[in-house]
Amino acid sequence: MLLDIIQTGLDGVMVGSLYAMVALGITLVFGLVGILNFAHGQSVMLGAYVCFFLVSAGHSFWVGAIVATLAMGVFGALLERAVFRRTLGDPFAGLAVSLGLIMIIENVAAAALTPDPRFMDAPVSGNFAVGPLLLSSQRSLVFVISSALILGFWLFLQYSTLGKAIRAMSQSRQGAALVGVRVDTVSRSIFAVGSALAGAAGALYASLFAVTPFMGAAPLTKGFILAALGGLGSVPGAIAAGFLLGLAESFGSRYLSASFRDGYGFIILIFALLFLPTGLFGAGKARV
Amino acid sequence: MTGEVSSARAPAADVPGRQSRLAASMLLALAGWLVLALLLSVPVVYHSRYIVYLGTLLALQAALAVSLNIVLGFAGQFALSQSAFFGFGAYASALLIRDLDVGFWTSLPLTALLTSVLAVAVGYPAMRFTGGIHLALITFAFGELLRLVTANLHELTGGPQGMQLVYTPGVVLGVDFGSTRGLYCLATGFLLLCLLISILVRRSDFGRALFAIRDDETLATSLGIDVTAHKVAAFTLASTLAALAGAIYAVFTSFISPEMMNASDSIALVGMLIVGGLGTTPGPILGTLIFVGLPEFLRVAKNYRLVLLGIIIVVMALYSPKGIAGAVNRLMTGTRRSGA
Repeated sequence: MLLDIIQTGLDGVMVGSLYAMVALGITLVFGLVGILNFAHGQSVMLGAYVCFFLVSAGHSFWVGAIVATLAMGVFGALLERAVFRRTLGDPFAGLAVSLGLIMIIENVAAAALTPDPRFMDAPVSGNFAVGPLLLSSQRSLVFVISSALILGFWLFLQYSTLGKAIRAMSQSRQGAALVGVRVDTVSRSIFAVGSALAGAAGALYASLFAVTPFMGAAPLTKGFILAALGGLGSVPGAIAAGFLLGLAESFGSRYLSASFRDGYGFIILIFALLFLPTGLFGAGKARV
Repeated sequence: MTGEVSSARAPAADVPGRQSRLAASMLLALAGWLVLALLLSVPVVYHSRYIVYLGTLLALQAALAVSLNIVLGFAGQFALSQSAFFGFGAYASALLIRDLDVGFWTSLPLTALLTSVLAVAVGYPAMRFTGGIHLALITFAFGELLRLVTANLHELTGGPQGMQLVYTPGVVLGVDFGSTRGLYCLATGFLLLCLLISILVRRSDFGRALFAIRDDETLATSLGIDVTAHKVAAFTLASTLAALAGAIYAVFTSFISPEMMNASDSIALVGMLIVGGLGTTPGPILGTLIFVGLPEFLRVAKNYRLVLLGIIIVVMALYSPKGIAGAVNRLMTGTRRSGA
């Protein structure tokens, strides 16, 4: 019984780390520029395809994942430059634009890449045992990579100049501009970084699940739940919420009902928004 | 149709050219109604099953958009549960008919009653403490939860495979509402009812209070408007109309499934309103024609028609934030305060 609980908990933490990566991009973009970017899931999908094609072409998973991350970073910066820059401060226009982008990207991908699901080989396979526990190698690898990326991102926010500028901007856009932060550049880089994280998540998704043009919807939905659960704009909130959701889904589907797996997140979200409307870590004001 | 918006909101002072602007917007309104009447009469004249089918579908979609406009466009409340209530209405009506043996017409007021109770139960706690983006997320989560619950109640709803329906509305006052044409009349009648309600709301004190809430909640409170009550009322009205549209959709397709409640449909409805013109009377209908009607007619570029649609949406959102209705109004009447 105890063993079963530990095993379920580990599964939850692994999935949770992947969720948290997607949520980070959503919460950052919202906290800084006030746009709920519905097209964020498309970065996950495109990142997965980039990784899939590179791996199919004979490169290693690592090359695929790194190129996917970089490519999606550029993609995010381009989107900001071409589209989102013009909708700053208008959430309705931002929403409409990202809806339009979803339709364009998904359907171009479906037409160009066919809607068939594709599978790629994971870099590691099989299971390994830690004492009495049996763990999937690939899932453990995914957990290690995503935790490292989340940690790296956290350090980047705390110590790098750009990270400090991002934090300053999330506290006060005007204040940051007054002390010499280039708010335009920071806005663009935040789209780039968020999209790059989504691209990395896409590469990791591709090593676990099927790659299809419509695969972006599920991580997007989860990302929104998490961003709200953690308090929109809060980075520690999004990370904590990611692990919380992973655990809730894992325990819920193990001990309650597996077919209701996707529902647990919504229940948590509704109660959290009703009783902790500013997110897990209170505050209310966006904190990075 | 755009007319009453600008005329109601035109400055009271005697601005030069106001008379001609008023005349232009009235003409525009008249033209709008004529075009709508023409569109609605096409399926009656044409003897094509496909056209009648498409007309019914468009009318129901437009009814959904028109009712969502009351809560989103008028009151400025970001409710993402419209398609959840659409599906709820379909299931409520179907289950009432199957398990409680009531007739189709009796099931409609019962469905409306059930939906309004549910909408108040969801809307009151959600709108009492929160608003804006949080309301969007709560209603989004509620909708997805409702879909998952429906898909998991196998005995009652048939689960994810959906329900096959065997009833028809029957013959009333000599009109066979079970026929495709009868169903078209039912759907169109319902659309006109939604439009009528929307116009009445816009012109009532209730509607003006909603616009005040949308523009500035704090100011509205200080004017003595019960903000929470008004928001919940608008949400309940929009949700109830959505549920009735669902009940009609159920009898129209004879098949319902939890996919009707898909949150992406609610989001697409928001897109329709934004493209058409948020808060305007013709906006929801224009948006529906573009989102649902245009893809049907863009047969040429079959693979790329959704891409084209996406491009139209992005361009519209970037260059005409007030939507098509706002752009037309601005072009025709020269008023700057176009749309609503």
